Amino acid sequence: MKHIAIAVFFVLLYFSNASHASIKVTVNGMVCSFCAQGIEKSISKLSATKAVLVDLKNKVVVIEPREGAQLKEQDVIREIRDAGYDVVRIETIPQTVAQFREEKKATR
Amino acid sequence: MRRTGLLLIFVVVAFTSKPARAAPMGFKDSWMVMGDFSSSYRELSLNYALSANDAFGIAVNESSLARATSKSKSVEATYVRKLRRWNFPNAQANIWFLGSLGGESSPLSGERKTSASAGLQADYETTRFYSMVALRTNVVAQHPSDIVTARIGFSFYEVEYEQPQPWIIIEARKMSIASADFEFTPMLRVVHRRYFIEIGASGSGDMRLNFMYNH
Repeated sequence: MKHIAIAVFFVLLYFSNASHASIKVTVNGMVCSFCAQGIEKSISKLSATKAVLVDLKNKVVVIEPREGAQLKEQDVIREIRDAGYDVVRIETIPQTVAQFREEKKATR
Repeated sequence: MRRTGLLLIFVVVAFTSKPARAAPMGFKDSWMVMGDFSSSYRELSLNYALSANDAFGIAVNESSLARATSKSKSVEATYVRKLRRWNFPNAQANIWFLGSLGGESSPLSGERKTSASAGLQADYETTRFYSMVALRTNVVAQHPSDIVTARIGFSFYEVEYEQPQPWIIIEARKMSIASADFEFTPMLRVVHRRYFIEIGASGSGDMRLNFMYNH
């Protein structure tokens, strides 16, 4: 019984972290904040978006979904292309936007 | 090889636009307010980006003829089209078409006539380097004129997305309606997410102020 409880605990922990997973997109063409704000604005309008981080130095955009919401990669790609940029790579990362920002500060 | 060819085209195709902008339109569904002020030319414009590549707007401007004491004024509908964009890992290049159609008033008689212009602008930039050439020609005007502009600039350092970034920009501009000579103007540019400001003074002491605000 104890082992089952521990197993259930870790399964719940795994799915809890999975729901906070963000999408990290590597983008070509981001050279200035005045131009790149279009990405932030258009991604923020997606109903599933909770937070957006634009990292000009590393050329990535991190998008965190709302609790229980599903961010569709094709929607993200479409919005970035409509903003005038090219998507090079898209991947899922376990951090939230806030965690990604803190890790970025720590590595400076 | 591709980037070298692009830079070559960019240098050879010396077109200018009126006035030269780092980016003459905003992102899709955004409004952009722009201003360009000097002793010989003043313009205030507003445009709306219907798509990622097209923006329509309106511009009012006032310019001084060479050796004239009065000013020419115009109100024009404007159109901007992003003809081509190249996105590189650490750079961006664009070719823009800029057109306008409206009415111009004569500084001598006050009579209004139709005016129309067309121009091309090409730019190449990284996070710390900026370059642009543009040409605009009045195709229908009481006083036909050309505006040729070239800009080059650099920033001392990169910044994070949320931080303002200062730049040093040198502009060479010739407005045939005002003068037969190129005017060189060094400027300080500050770029932020929402605003873009340039301020400088030419060799003749003529102050320049440009701004853009995107919403």
